[in-house]
Parts: sequence; structure tokens; C-alpha cells
Amino acid sequence: MAAISEDVFFATIPELNQRLTSHEFTAVDLARAFSDRLEKLGPRYNALALALPQQAFHKAEEVDKEIKRGRLRGPLQGIPYGVKDLISYKGRPTTWGAKPYAGQVFDYNATVVDKLDGVGAVLTGKLATVELAGGPGYRYASASLTGPCLNPWDRTRWSGGSSSGPGAAVAAGLVPFSLGSETSGSIVTPASYCGVTALRPTYGLVSRHGAMALSWTLDKLGPFGRSAEDCGLILQVIAGKDSKDPGSAGKSFYYTPQYSRPMKELKVGYAPVDFDGHVEPSTRAAFAAALSVLKDAGIPLVEARWPQFPYGAILQAIMGSEAGSIFETLITSGQVDQLADQMQIAGLKTCLDIPAKDYLKAQRVRRLIQEEFSKLFAEVDALIAPGRPGPATRIEQRLDAVTPPAAGAAENPAGFQGIIPAGNLAGLPALVLPCGFADHLPVALQVVGLPFSENTLLAIGREFQARTDWHKRRPPA
Amino acid sequence: MKLSRRQLAGTILATAAGTAIAQTPPTNPADELKAARDRLKAVGDTLAKLTVPIETEPALQFKA
Repeated sequence: MAAISEDVFFATIPELNQRLTSHEFTAVDLARAFSDRLEKLGPRYNALALALPQQAFHKAEEVDKEIKRGRLRGPLQGIPYGVKDLISYKGRPTTWGAKPYAGQVFDYNATVVDKLDGVGAVLTGKLATVELAGGPGYRYASASLTGPCLNPWDRTRWSGGSSSGPGAAVAAGLVPFSLGSETSGSIVTPASYCGVTALRPTYGLVSRHGAMALSWTLDKLGPFGRSAEDCGLILQVIAGKDSKDPGSAGKSFYYTPQYSRPMKELKVGYAPVDFDGHVEPSTRAAFAAALSVLKDAGIPLVEARWPQFPYGAILQAIMGSEAGSIFETLITSGQVDQLADQMQIAGLKTCLDIPAKDYLKAQRVRRLIQEEFSKLFAEVDALIAPGRPGPATRIEQRLDAVTPPAAGAAENPAGFQGIIPAGNLAGLPALVLPCGFADHLPVALQVVGLPFSENTLLAIGREFQARTDWHKRRPPA
Repeated sequence: MKLSRRQLAGTILATAAGTAIAQTPPTNPADELKAARDRLKAVGDTLAKLTVPIETEPALQFKA
């Protein structure tokens, strides 16, 4: 058995692939090293829902035989990974992070698991999630069957949610990549807080078959990785038409860095106030430096504005209505009271009372939001905004508290503060790029684009990461 | 009928402040339920103030 050095746990997918195919180590070596690390350190962060070492070794043995025969299946062959515990893996528990579903077992794999299996990726574990992916809202980081997921950069801080485990596990080097989900912020937030690169794909690009539904018209699955390139390579595998997902867009994704437009030909919109008055003071230097990097890369940055819809209310009406229907049995049976978070329990109960007129009104306004984004993206190729306005919150901190407007925000309400609910309502892709530190904690940019513009976002991400090393930083041992 | 961006922004800005969340956590399930209902009502009130052109269909068969 080859010795696996510490740097392997933080290597990118192309680096691991190169070392596997050059026989520096085997897929079994890699699966064993990552499985041991995940089982040993995962509980330290409450990031692990279920370890799958035996399945991983078996799959890795198959991969080694294939590599020995010269049957190469692409860069993900032999690469270990983890999935958020709302993505089903046949015959093993899929708890959705919630006590009422603790014993739930599906007899089929999620489509994304089958797709990754087909290219030889090695599933080593299920990763922590906020219960029911956060449902209609929760108050504390402890709203999970596995407890509050701790941030690898500082265990007194939260990893973010609801894809808590996928974010923390990649940051801590427990898996090279992972899959999470987003209804509104559940990929962007943990990626920002944990300092990893992640991609929320366009709605419908990645099949959700076999993943828990929270909101049929909003849910997306997407990758967490070590770089924009990693995210592109993963997306190419998991994207594509799936007749088992009614929301499937029927489109494939081909990662094509070779066809990227020159950066100087792009136009990227932003609002200066988003990087100043709308963010916590401790983050401003990092965000200012990140903007300078983009400018130095020759990317034309232009000030952009959008109409201020009440994005949060619109999203709440849609997500609440759909979640109420999805979890009706949980709610009416009283099992909802077994959840950990009182705000989520009450929120789910009231989801059944949302009037149809509110749901339909929200869905109609959503059309207007899509139209407005179409106009905006006729002027710019992408938008950039902070991933989150501040670094990771403290574990015990209330998450539902109203954040008072930061200095300067009141004078200038323009900006893209509502970009997370707005982007999700319009089904837009977003790439999260670590861009520095504040109070020794990571902060990140999000780059948002037109539907199916993932290659453009990834090109911007590659350019940014060629000029910075934030995505390569490792949390304290 | 199409709303101009300015008309839309005017309508929406006037209502956007109506969705503030409760400031202190309720202490028991009954209060928690009341707080959730209050949030729901605030969402409904916000939506009621929005003007939507009559021909706008809901995004039920949503495609990005």
C-alpha cells in the first residue's frame, strides 16, 4: 500500500487523476486514506452522516482493475466523494438530517450517484445536512440530526447550511469533492463560510431524482470542489436530461475551457455598495482586493442596477407552499414535532395555511423577475456579489435575526443584496469563489449568470483562481 | 400590459419593507406558532401590494 501524504487530501481532481493513472497510488489506497480520514475527522465537525468504507473499497478495487486494463473513464475515475444525506444511496439510510426519517432506506440510487458511479467515482460517505434542508426556515445551527456542523476554520463557528457536511468535508480535506443541494442559499452559504469553490447549476440542468424534494420549482443539486475546474469536471458528469425528474431541462453540459471568450470581451455587472456598505466592515479589505484582481485580469466591471422586488417574501410563499404539500403527512401526523428546531416545526405547520392566491401571485411575480433578469443579462455577461455579507456565524448565533443595515446601505439601497433568493427564483447558476479572509475566516464572491451560462462563470472563476491562492488555503490541522 | 422598470420598482420598493422578521425568539410552541403565522401574514400582505400585468401566467411549469 502506497503512503498517502497530507497534500493528497487537498489535491484537485486533475492532480489526483494524474497520480492515479501514473500508478503513484491505487484507487484502493486513495479510498482507504479518505475513508479513514472521513471516519476519524468527520465527527469532529459533525460533518459525517454515514461512512461507507466497505462499498468504497469494493468500488475502488473495480476501478483499479479497469485502470490496469487501460480502461480509462475520465478525470473522476477513482476519486472519492461524499453526498449530502438527502441524496439516496441504495440500501443504506438516507435520513434527510431529520429524526422522523432516521430509519429511511431507499431501494434505488439517486441519478447523480448512478452517473458518478458510471465514471468510476468512489462514494465514501453521506454528509450532514440541516434537517429537511432547512425547510421553510430554522433558527439555530443545531437544526440537524447530526448536531451543528462546525466550521473547519474555527470550530466555534458554523459551517453554513443546509449543505453543511458537503462544505465542511471538502474544506477539511475529508473528501476531494461533494454534492449538495440548494433551494435558496444552501450551496452558496456553506461554500462561502467554509472557503471552498462550489457551483449552483441552472435549475433543471442536474437531475434531482432520488434527492429529497423541498420545493419542486426551486431545488437544485450541485458540486463542491477545490477549484472552478473541479466544479466544471463534476458538472459535466452529473448534468443531463433525466426523464425521472419532471424539472429536467433536457440539456447536457460540456465543460469547454478551450472555447472560453477572452476576459476583456466580457462585461461583468456589480454594485460597489455591495462590497462596502452592505458587508461587514471586517470583510471590506478582502472584497476590495478581489475586485482589484478581476480588474487586473482585464475583466470590464460595470455598475449595474436591478428592480428591488421583495425576493424573500416571494421565495417564502413558493417554497412554503410546495414544502407544505411535500411534507403534509409529516405535519398532519404530528411527527413534525420530532424535528430539532422549534422555528422549523412551527414554520412547517403554517405552510399548510398559505392561500393559493399567494402561491400563484408569487409564481406570477417570478415571471416578471425572469424578464427583468433577461433584460439585465442583455447588458452584462455575469453579475458579481459577495457570497455572504460576513464570515461564518457563531454556532450559538440566531440565524433568523434581522441584520441591521450596515453603514452606507440606507443612503444607497441599490445593489444585489437579494441575489440569493433572486437568483434561485430565476433559476440562475452561481459560482462561489473563495476570495480572502476576515477575522481568520474565509469570505467569498458569487458570480451569477444567465441560465446555462456555467462555462462563462467557470472561465471567470479559472481566471480569478489563476491569480489568487485563496482556494488552495487549508484550515488549521 | 407591461410595467416599466421604474413602475415596477416603485410598486415593489413601497412594499419591500413589510417582511421584517420577529426580533426575539418565542419561548413556547404556541408563541412560536403565532410568530410563524405573523410571518406568513407579512408575506401575504407584501404579495397583495404587488401589481402584476393581467396576462402574466404563473411559473408553474418552471423552466429556467
